[in-house]
Amino acid sequence: MDPRLLLLGTIWLRLRGDSLGAFGHYLAAHFDTLRLEFWALFVGGVANGLLYGMIAVGYTLVYGVLRLINFAHSEIFMSGGFAGYFVMRALVGAGAPPAGIASVGLITLGIVAGGTVGAVMATVLERVAYRPLRRRNAPKLAYLISAIGASYFLFNLAGKEFGHLAVSTPQPYINHPVFHIFGAPVQMYFVIIFIVGLVMFVALDRVISKTRLGRGIRAVAQDAETASLMGVNIDRTIAITFIVGGTLGGAAGFLFGLGYGVVYTMGFVPALKAFTAAVLGGIGNLRGAMIGGLILGIFESLSVVFVQAAYIDVVAFGILVTVLLVRPTGILGERLGRAA
Amino acid sequence: MKLRLNKTVAVVASSALLLLAVPAVGMASASGAVHKPKPKPKPTYVIGYEGPLSGGNLQLGLNMVFSVELAINQANASGKYPFKLKLARYDDQGDPTISPTQAQSAVANHQLMALVGPAFSGATAAAEPYYSAAHIATVSPSATRVSLATSGWNNFFRVVADDGVQGPADADYLVKTKSFKSVYVVNDGSAYGSGVASAFATEATTDGATVTTATVPGTAQCSDGSASATEYTAAATQAVASKAGAMFYGGYYCDLGLFLGALSSAGWTGTVLSDDGSDSPALIQGTTPPSAANDVLMSCACAQSTNKTFNKEFQNLSNFSAATATYAPEAYDATNVIIAAMAKLKTVTRAGIVAELHKITYKGITKVIHFQSDGNISGSAIYVNEVESGSVVQLGLE
Repeated sequence: MDPRLLLLGTIWLRLRGDSLGAFGHYLAAHFDTLRLEFWALFVGGVANGLLYGMIAVGYTLVYGVLRLINFAHSEIFMSGGFAGYFVMRALVGAGAPPAGIASVGLITLGIVAGGTVGAVMATVLERVAYRPLRRRNAPKLAYLISAIGASYFLFNLAGKEFGHLAVSTPQPYINHPVFHIFGAPVQMYFVIIFIVGLVMFVALDRVISKTRLGRGIRAVAQDAETASLMGVNIDRTIAITFIVGGTLGGAAGFLFGLGYGVVYTMGFVPALKAFTAAVLGGIGNLRGAMIGGLILGIFESLSVVFVQAAYIDVVAFGILVTVLLVRPTGILGERLGRAA
Repeated sequence: MKLRLNKTVAVVASSALLLLAVPAVGMASASGAVHKPKPKPKPTYVIGYEGPLSGGNLQLGLNMVFSVELAINQANASGKYPFKLKLARYDDQGDPTISPTQAQSAVANHQLMALVGPAFSGATAAAEPYYSAAHIATVSPSATRVSLATSGWNNFFRVVADDGVQGPADADYLVKTKSFKSVYVVNDGSAYGSGVASAFATEATTDGATVTTATVPGTAQCSDGSASATEYTAAATQAVASKAGAMFYGGYYCDLGLFLGALSSAGWTGTVLSDDGSDSPALIQGTTPPSAANDVLMSCACAQSTNKTFNKEFQNLSNFSAATATYAPEAYDATNVIIAAMAKLKTVTRAGIVAELHKITYKGITKVIHFQSDGNISGSAIYVNEVESGSVVQLGLE
């Protein structure tokens, strides 16, 4: 056995202050819990992971073409949540939640509303906060400050306009278990996230790898100057990149708001998690964002068997640090151009 | 030489001024004896309020600050006090890191004589060293952490029972009155939430129930925590897996609302009892779907106000109902007890108010207010409320 492992094991036992037998019992008991709850936790984890992934796409695409972390992306997510909230409030209101085809229509509408507002917000951000800096060849640090400033401005504006209290989105569907996986119920809410998340990822992946637009984005990501010499319109490509990221972020905002309600501060932590997911998968890498999101979501969820919910973030960032120690560029490596 | 001359001139000039001034002073005092004294303008004193006036726990702060404003307006309008009162608002967002700055700014306001608040326990613990050093009496309508009264702050008072009373009373209610044998005890990681939850757990164990404890940290979207609402799915799965029949939640309404949504999704069917931090209609508004908040029980050392005058005037001022405004009646009593103490003093000073509050007995709208020597209220009662089809209903005493 690797002596380092033995050493680690010894330290662990010392820390717990247990005898080997008690330690074995501890592990056995927890793995037993894990066996019982695995599927329920897994389903929730995948749903969270898809949400993180959808937000992470916005970070990763923008990083790919601009080498810039768009820290105002959390507010694009928030704006999508509010767009969905207002549409649902207007169409569903306080009445009984509709069912069947009406639900499907309403949820589609909510996603369209969230995605559209997200895309509009992203475009405005690009025009107001980034393009003027790009024109003046500003240093990277200026973008960062501009992004943080835009983020603070936007969420405080939302707080002022929409109130500071959390409100729940009127439900366009009835949240009941649709089917069971190995005895674990799968709620309608999770099914919606699975479908929307998968459709969006597959569609986006196809667009980036197969279409002319996708080639443009990849070309700018690889070498913006050469791409422009080859006839790629850089401004247009960057604008479209923001729109794509904003659409997914806004749609994710709607899905999050559907399950957890909306409030002006809703963007901060989910976006931080998504950023983590993007770095975990390899920032600038589209598939990396999806895989990073899923890994983060699932591991977070399963970790509650071994540690309390209070330590979920410790696990999440522990995974990040461990992966980066072994692979500094993330799981799939860095570049949008190469991997996608 | 020139300098010396100047000096001489200065001396002459100043003595001439002095000569002129002396008769003037003499005349003034003489005329004062002849004419009727003008009514002295009433001094203006400030009563501060410190609590969350922005952020996720805004509603609790609004409930209180409108009451403070109402009490001050009424005192000014009555004309029976030898002073005018003004309100100063200090927004700490319920956050212990913001609270000290707000306290320092309150201390620096020399007109400020006493303060209602701070609203939250963590914020109170962080601010009290500053208030205490300046001898400013603080009367909290809602800070219930036990240790606040035992930290040696002579200026600390509260008009509610502490967590040491609420937690055990809640435990007795679930285990003895409602006969639950197994209780899942959750706290939100805040100073307040863990305080109530651990007092609950100790008493529930003594009462013979099986207790499982868990920390489910508050979220950043509810202002104080660092977690994400997405993490609540896993925490709720754990709670359901515990197969406990009842849950006690130590924390605030905003995070509880998120957790209730996750619990209903995970298939929780048991009874949920929470503390006074959750006792607000904003809980229902913030729960997705709102039906997940149905039948949730909330305990509170606060009674709903049955005082019709207060309810009407509070509604006029705030545009929302006093019937559902947690801690509004207590904040009203806290302000009035300060005003009553000020009225008993010949010269109103910060330290004078502290000394007077230690002696006073005042009949408020919630209870007769008399403080123990550590600042705790004498005598108390815990009420239990329930969410019934979208509104909060008081069930009665636990």
